[in-house]
Amino acid sequence: MLRWKYSRPLLGLLLVVLAVAPMFTSFPLGKPGLQQTLAVAFIWGALALTYDLLFGFTGLLSFGHALYFATGVYVSCILINREIVSWWLAAIIATVASGVLAALVGAASLRTTGITFAMVTLAFGEAGHVIVGRNFFNLTGGENGIALNADFVPQFWIGVFNTKYIYWTALLALIVTYLVIWWVTESSAGRVFAALRDNEQRVQVIGINTQRFKLLSFVISGTLAGMLGFVMLIAAGSAAPRFAESGVTISLLLMVVIGGAVTRWGAVLGGIFYSFASTRMQDLTQQESFKSIPEWIGGPIAEPALLLGIIFIFIVMFAPGGLSGAYYRLRLRALTRKSS
Amino acid sequence: MDTFILIGITGIGLGALYFLVASGLSLIYGLMGVLNFAHGSFLSVGAFAGYWIARQLGPETSMVDFVIAMIVGGLAAGLFALLMEQLLITRLYDRHIDQALVTVGVALVVGALLGGWFGNDLIMFPTPMWFLTAVNVGGAMIPADRIIYIATAVLLLFGNWVLLKYTRIGLIIRAGVENRNMVNALGINVRRAFSTVFFLGGFAAGVGGVLVSVYSNGVSPLIAGSYLIYGFIVVVIGGMGSVPGSFLAAMLIGVIRQFANYYVTGLGDFVVVILLAGVLLIRPQGLLGKVRA
Repeated sequence: MLRWKYSRPLLGLLLVVLAVAPMFTSFPLGKPGLQQTLAVAFIWGALALTYDLLFGFTGLLSFGHALYFATGVYVSCILINREIVSWWLAAIIATVASGVLAALVGAASLRTTGITFAMVTLAFGEAGHVIVGRNFFNLTGGENGIALNADFVPQFWIGVFNTKYIYWTALLALIVTYLVIWWVTESSAGRVFAALRDNEQRVQVIGINTQRFKLLSFVISGTLAGMLGFVMLIAAGSAAPRFAESGVTISLLLMVVIGGAVTRWGAVLGGIFYSFASTRMQDLTQQESFKSIPEWIGGPIAEPALLLGIIFIFIVMFAPGGLSGAYYRLRLRALTRKSS
Repeated sequence: MDTFILIGITGIGLGALYFLVASGLSLIYGLMGVLNFAHGSFLSVGAFAGYWIARQLGPETSMVDFVIAMIVGGLAAGLFALLMEQLLITRLYDRHIDQALVTVGVALVVGALLGGWFGNDLIMFPTPMWFLTAVNVGGAMIPADRIIYIATAVLLLFGNWVLLKYTRIGLIIRAGVENRNMVNALGINVRRAFSTVFFLGGFAAGVGGVLVSVYSNGVSPLIAGSYLIYGFIVVVIGGMGSVPGSFLAAMLIGVIRQFANYYVTGLGDFVVVILLAGVLLIRPQGLLGKVRA
């Protein structure tokens, strides 16, 4: 097997360190700034994993994944702010709502395949972006979005000194997402997903209802994205149209490809790296030493998309499989050398 | 009646802009199966090149200067498209998903470069004075720039038709859209047709970029995104690989969107998506698309 025998104990150790570190204020992880950055990075990592279920495991290239994430953000924010239900019920309703929406949109768009499917999901996703931007019935707050009313959520999520609770919530959400996706992809349904990706006609010939399994993958992925939308609402403190942009889905695609599809940890790593790099790049370019770089180089570098875009093109052209793919290739080479 | 004509012609003008984006997308997809997410960058490259040349030509932009700006914008975008095709797309021959992914990367890089150099805020695009006047059409006062959009789109449609119908390379492109493997098997170099299509698609998008900048009152790397999405919708509704289909769908969407927006603000985009869903359910291959064997 390609898995290194110490990888699971080491992963467990890493999780324990990540969970305990925020309690020591002298560590870098004790600082609220890094905690916030990492919390957001964890959410993106988890979101990238839900996208990997669609794109990597089932072979569905969707460009509308932001729709379900944004549904989670907005539905929970509206329900909490208007005091319709308590925060935990709002989280559950938002998650279910995302799943139902995914089922409806999926049922329509899965009538198409391949590139057309990509375009159709893109159109549905953009419709969602337009709707939240227009502020129908004064619900979504238009271009400015809506700020979460801090009075209606537990106080341990509020304030700079409580950032570590947001961090733990995000870490927990990542672990839950990972476990669900692990369970799904290792189940018999997960085998059908992989078979659909590799040879859909053959699955059809065996007598399996392919549409139903594609829809199942679509709905599971959308539901998890909705749940992560609630966590993002807690971490970001507001619901804004930027969560519904098609740019979100494109970022997810980049994360999965950079980290490597179908390995689960690759997508998570890609998401954390991408989110962390985007935030840190912006901080870096604010510094004094950066001002000495000529404007015509410094300007573009200040946009994180430049470097990430170049890395992305490089990986697609020369290293398909991304970071995790490269790791497994190295591992395979080491193992074959040992045995020969 | 005046408002009716005004909205109708404005809609057709908007449709003309969509067509300039969609014609290239449709041909590139039809011939090569490449979903080109970088088409929005062609638009931006054309817009900035046109802006640059219009600035060089003097403080007062005459009609001739503007036409030069359109042509330079088109050429710049066409050459950029050709470069991308040669450097990246050809190396990923027949790996369709990877080709689409690479174009996503190109779109990101171009957006970052233009955003870094020129900023993401709107920069005023110099236009001829004539654009600010209105033309009387059947009692309605139509802003003059709309007429330029429509004329350009019709000209490009005509040019496209002549090229596809009466030249050898056009014949190869049409045959390639129909059945690429057969054309290849007959010993004809389809690669040349690929490059031509990329250049032409880039050219149309570049010209479109200059016009879009006039329509949006300025150049910005952020404008291209929404036109790209509309371009995709037009291509799906019109039928992949069919340029007349794109023209029809673009006009249809432009007009419907304007009318819907006139009656209820913000309804237009929504109606377009409903229309897309409807077309997919009733006629998945699009209005003028052929069913693939």
